[in-house]
Amino acid sequence: MKLPTSTIFLCLGLLALSLLGARQARATLGEGTDSIVRDKKALSAVKRATTSFAKYSVQEIASDATAVREFITPSGVVFAVAWNGLVHPDLSTLLGSYADEYKSAKRQLPRQHGKRRSRVQSDRMVVETWGHMGNLQGRAYLPALVPDGVKTDEIH
Amino acid sequence: MVVPFFALSAGCGGGGGDNPAPAPATAAASNVMAITVNGALCSDSSYLNKPCVSVTVCNPDSSICRTIPDIIVDTGSYGLRIFKEAMPGLTLPQVASGSGSLAQCIQFADESSVWGPVSWADVKMGGEPAVRVPIQVIDSTFGTRPSACANADPNVATAGLSGILGIGVAIEDCGPACVTNPGIGIYYRCTGTSCQGTTVPLASQVQNPVARLPQDNNGILVQLPAVPAGGVVSSSGSIIFGIGTQANNNPVSKTVFPTTLFGDFSTIYKGVNGPSFLDTGSNGLFFPNEAPALPLCPSPNTAWYCPPATQALSATTVGNFGEPSANIPFNVSNFLTLVQSPNNVFSDIAGPSTFGFDWGLPFFMGREVFFGINGRPSVIGTGPYVAY
Repeated sequence: MKLPTSTIFLCLGLLALSLLGARQARATLGEGTDSIVRDKKALSAVKRATTSFAKYSVQEIASDATAVREFITPSGVVFAVAWNGLVHPDLSTLLGSYADEYKSAKRQLPRQHGKRRSRVQSDRMVVETWGHMGNLQGRAYLPALVPDGVKTDEIH
Repeated sequence: MVVPFFALSAGCGGGGGDNPAPAPATAAASNVMAITVNGALCSDSSYLNKPCVSVTVCNPDSSICRTIPDIIVDTGSYGLRIFKEAMPGLTLPQVASGSGSLAQCIQFADESSVWGPVSWADVKMGGEPAVRVPIQVIDSTFGTRPSACANADPNVATAGLSGILGIGVAIEDCGPACVTNPGIGIYYRCTGTSCQGTTVPLASQVQNPVARLPQDNNGILVQLPAVPAGGVVSSSGSIIFGIGTQANNNPVSKTVFPTTLFGDFSTIYKGVNGPSFLDTGSNGLFFPNEAPALPLCPSPNTAWYCPPATQALSATTVGNFGEPSANIPFNVSNFLTLVQSPNNVFSDIAGPSTFGFDWGLPFFMGREVFFGINGRPSVIGTGPYVAY
């Protein structure tokens, strides 16, 4: 399935930033990278290293609650976001145009007791969480946008 | 249908440090708390491999106590949290926060969450004296929930348990980040029905009650019996409080694995090194499905492996700073075959994980496992560590 690049970038960029402070001002769908820079400042998030790999780069930003890693294609598309920290992001409101699809897929999953993980797969997106108190981890990615030759295991 | 069992505890005289409970007749057993995996301390409808204890909770003025079963013992979290519906009649005072009172949203790794006020309670575990600690009273109807707790568990039936006793290696459920930053998303100050993010001192955070015991407060020993192939209906074991503090918690023959502040270390499975933790609150072993992959069970049981025959596997646990290491053999059997029996307790059920190795309850069966609390010295070192 071909997805509009701008939509994906904005949704996942929004998700990444929102991890750092759900109650503060958010980037808005339709805005570009300027809003990301602005929010970083507003959220007192610290930009950490950007690491380049053969087929993508990873930009890490962090707050006291959560460290977020954005996975970016050479052409500037965020195809995945991974996080770890004290809390999860508020996925239900922060996945932008993917939120409804995510909620719908999640509703169909039966409650599993005794588990420290979840996996929600919708038509276009996979959201996985894992861990325990003090070290909650997760990732959201768009399989159609993962560059060829990149294993999903690399998204963490 | 969950049928909580409530008992008004006639013997609950433990009203905090000034008025400790009378010493039990068997002094040697005073640091023991019984566990049943499924069995008598769990509700009738409990899920598989559920480790239950009962905890006695009293109003701080000792006016009323309740002994509450169906509370899972969880080495993957820190602090006591109990559904309000499981403690009828108790009037626990809320922990103050400025001019308001404290509440919290706790998110779990499976994307479930619990919400409710933080309240002072006198908590009695096994034969130990009562300790006064902030606990979470789980109540999704309290105040206004933040969006992170939009799906907070509404009741015991949904959660599958009456409460959670978190007694892992950490003392507080958040720690220093929540002391200085009001925006972490865990603690809230509520005034009326309005709740806003707040800072909270360590002493007001929900905390591991083991760390507040007058003695035996440097950690725990988890003892569960081995379970034969095919499983058992239920089993009985113990939490022993303290490490090297009594005759029944001597750790000197164990290997000590340093951990992070939250109990994490490394595990190498099929050559892949990843994060891991020991978690009585996980009801199986959950690990990445490295090649050659194990078959998943068909829907709706895809959280479990279903190999046609029992697989003998192993992984290597490695301390947080690269040593020591130990080879851990384990079995994985066909989940669907096992659960066709009347049994509830299995040592060989496992499922996939995305990020690392979650050594759940089967790890503990037939193995003594110590958890050393952060910063607390013992004869085998200062926490945080695990030892087995």
